[in-house]
Amino acid sequence: MTVSAKTRAPRLGRRERYDPKVVAAAFILIAPTIIGLCVLNIYPFFDTIRRSLYKTQGLGPETYVGLKNFEKLFSDSMVGHATINTLLYMVLTVPVGVLLSLIFASLLNGKIKGRDIYRGIYFLPMVVAPAAVAMVWRWIFNAENGVLNYVLGLVGIQGPSWLADPNTALLSCAIIGIWSAIGYDLVLILAGLQSISKSYYEAAEIDGASGVQTFFHITIPLVSPTLFFVVLMRAMTSLKQFDTIYLLINTRNPAYKNATVLMTLFYREAFEKFNKGYGSAIVLYTFVIIAIFTAIQFIAEKKFVHYD
Amino acid sequence: MRKLFAILLTLCMVFSFVSFASAEEVTITFAFWDNNQEPGMTAIAEAYMALHPEVKIEVQVTPWNEYWTKLEAGALADSMPDVFWMHSNQFFKYVTASKLLALDFDYDYTPYPEGVTSLYTYEGVHYAVPKDYDTIALVYNKEIFDAAGIAYPDGTWTWDTLLETAKKLTDPEKGIYGFGAPNDRQSGYLNLVYQNEGFAFENGKSGYDQPATQEAIQWWVDLQKVHGVSPSQESFVDMGVDDQMQAGKLAMCFTGSWMMSSYTNNELFADKFDLAVLPQGKTRASIYNGLGYAGAASTKYPEVVKDFIKFCGTEEANKLQAEKKAAIPAYAGTEHYFTDNFTSINIACYPEMIAYGVQYPFSPNKSLWESQEEELMNEVYAGSKTVQEACTELHAIIVDIEGE
Repeated sequence: MTVSAKTRAPRLGRRERYDPKVVAAAFILIAPTIIGLCVLNIYPFFDTIRRSLYKTQGLGPETYVGLKNFEKLFSDSMVGHATINTLLYMVLTVPVGVLLSLIFASLLNGKIKGRDIYRGIYFLPMVVAPAAVAMVWRWIFNAENGVLNYVLGLVGIQGPSWLADPNTALLSCAIIGIWSAIGYDLVLILAGLQSISKSYYEAAEIDGASGVQTFFHITIPLVSPTLFFVVLMRAMTSLKQFDTIYLLINTRNPAYKNATVLMTLFYREAFEKFNKGYGSAIVLYTFVIIAIFTAIQFIAEKKFVHYD
Repeated sequence: MRKLFAILLTLCMVFSFVSFASAEEVTITFAFWDNNQEPGMTAIAEAYMALHPEVKIEVQVTPWNEYWTKLEAGALADSMPDVFWMHSNQFFKYVTASKLLALDFDYDYTPYPEGVTSLYTYEGVHYAVPKDYDTIALVYNKEIFDAAGIAYPDGTWTWDTLLETAKKLTDPEKGIYGFGAPNDRQSGYLNLVYQNEGFAFENGKSGYDQPATQEAIQWWVDLQKVHGVSPSQESFVDMGVDDQMQAGKLAMCFTGSWMMSSYTNNELFADKFDLAVLPQGKTRASIYNGLGYAGAASTKYPEVVKDFIKFCGTEEANKLQAEKKAAIPAYAGTEHYFTDNFTSINIACYPEMIAYGVQYPFSPNKSLWESQEEELMNEVYAGSKTVQEACTELHAIIVDIEGE
C-alpha cells in the first residue's frame, strides 16, 4: 500500500463532460456520508467555536462573554499542566510505539512458524474495549498486589505506586497507550512492508548488504509513506487521548496534576463543572495544537518520505 | 359501492382506536441511581399501582455517574423522567432553572428531619419530599481489636482516644493500619470540622478561613502524614477505604450508612465488624445528607406525579423502603424497619446521630468550587501545600464564586 502523491484523477479532454446522470448518481451515493459529516462533525465544530464565546451557569441560559474564556485559559495553571502532560504523552507514545510496531512488523514479515497466530495475538488489544483495558491494567499496576510490582519484587526492586506517584502516573498511562496501539500500527506497517518489491532485497543480497544495512537503506525508505501515515495518526490520537487517563486518574489522586491531559480536563470542565463555554475553549486550544503538529509533520514529509 | 364500503370500514376502525385510547391509562417514569435500592423502590411503585390501577410506573435505574448527565440532558430537552431522586448537590441547579415541579399541596413535613426538608425548599416552596437520610459512623474490625486485647470503641471516645488506639493497632509488618483517613469530605474531615466547632459553608459564608476548621482538617491529614496510622493517599487510589476495611487492612474507619448493605453482603467480612458513634471533639457531630423525591416541571401528568410523590413520603412507603434495606427512611419512627435488618451489628448508632447531625454543606454554586477543593486537598496530600495555604486559597475561591 504505497501512497503515491503523484497520481491524479483521470482528466477528461475539453470536449468530453461527465454524464449528468452519472454525476447525480454519484452525489446521491455519497449523500449519506456527507450529510452525516455535516451534521455530526462540521456543524458541531462551528458550534463549538460559537460556544467558546459564551458562559453557561448550570442549566440556565448562556451569557455572552467574548474572549474571556480564552483569557481564563491562558491564565489557568491547570491548562498549563495539561498541555505539558499531553505533549509529554505524545513524546512517550509515538516514537516508542511506532518503533516497536516497525520492529515487530519486520519480524512478522519473515518466514517464521505460527506467523499468522502471532499477527492475531498482536492485534487483539485493538479489539478490547478501552474500559476493560483500563481495569485490567489498573490491577497490573496496583502497588501492593499487582503483577508488575510482584515481578519486580522477585528481582529485589521495590516497585513504586505506579498510578499514584506523580513521577510514574503519566508513564503508566503511556505504557497502556503503547500496548494497545501496537496492533493497529503493526497491521498498517506490515501492509506497507509487503508492498516492497522483493527484487530490491535480492539485489541487496547480491551486493552483499548485511541485515542492518538492508533495513536502514531499503526497508525504511520504501516503507516511509506508510510510516508517515502511522506517525501522523498516532500523534493525533495521542494528543486526543482520553479513555484510559480518565478511567485511571481521578481527582483524588495525588498525581492528578501530573497526569491530567487536555481532553480529560475538557471533560471535567464541560460535564462535571457544567461550564461548556470554557470546555469549548479548551477544545479549540487542543485543535490548534494538533494542527501545529500536523503541519510540522507535513513539512517533515517533504524531506523524509520517499514516494515512487 | 366497494369504495363506499371500504371508507366506512376504515372510519369504523379509526373510531374504535380513538375510543380505546381514551381509557385514561397513565404511564409515568420513576428514575434513580443505586441498584441496591431498586427492590425498595419497586416495592413502593407496586404498592401505588395496586391502589391506582390506572397508573403504570416504569422504574429506571441509572448508575450514579451517568444519572446526572442523563438528567441534565433531559432537563435541557424538557423530557425528564416524571419522578426522580434529587440530591443536595444538584438541587439548586435544577430549581433555579425552574425544572422541578412545585409541590404546592398541603403536607405535613414534621415527621422528617428538618434539615432534609429545608434542603429541598426554595423561596418558601417545597420541591421534594424527603426520602431518607444517611449519617457517618465509626466502623471497626472486631478481630483486630480482639487480637490486640483492646476494648471496642464506644460513646466515650474522643479524638485523642481514636488516635491513641489507632497507634496501638498500627502494625506495618502485618500491613494493618489503625485508621483509614482518605481525602474525603462527607465521610472524612467535614465530620471533624463540625466536631471542632468550625464550619465549611453556611448561610452563604465560607468557613475555611476559621482556625477551628483548619485545625480539624490538619488533624485529619496528620493521621496519614504525621502519625502514620493511616495508609497513604496513594494506596487509597489503588484501593478505596471501604475496600481496604473489608479486606482487613484497617482496624477502623468512618463510613456512611449507605455502605451497610455492601458491608453486610460481604460474606467474608459480615461478622467481623461492628459500628460505633463517631468520637467527639469539642462537641458531637456527624454529617448527614438526605435524598428527596422530586417531580419534573415539564411532566404531562402533574397531578399523578404529585400524588405519587405524596405516597412515597407516607409511613407505609418508608416502611417498604426500609424493609428492603434501601436506606434509613426519613419518616420518624420507621427507622427500626431499617435497623431490624441488621441484627448482628450496632446499626442503631446511625439514626442515633441524627440528633446532633450536621447537614452536608450545599450551595447554589457548590459544583464550581467543590472540585477545586478536591484539587487543593490533593496538593496537601502530595506535600506541595500546607492545610492552611489550601484552606486560605479555597476560602478566596468560594468568596469569589458565592459572592461573600
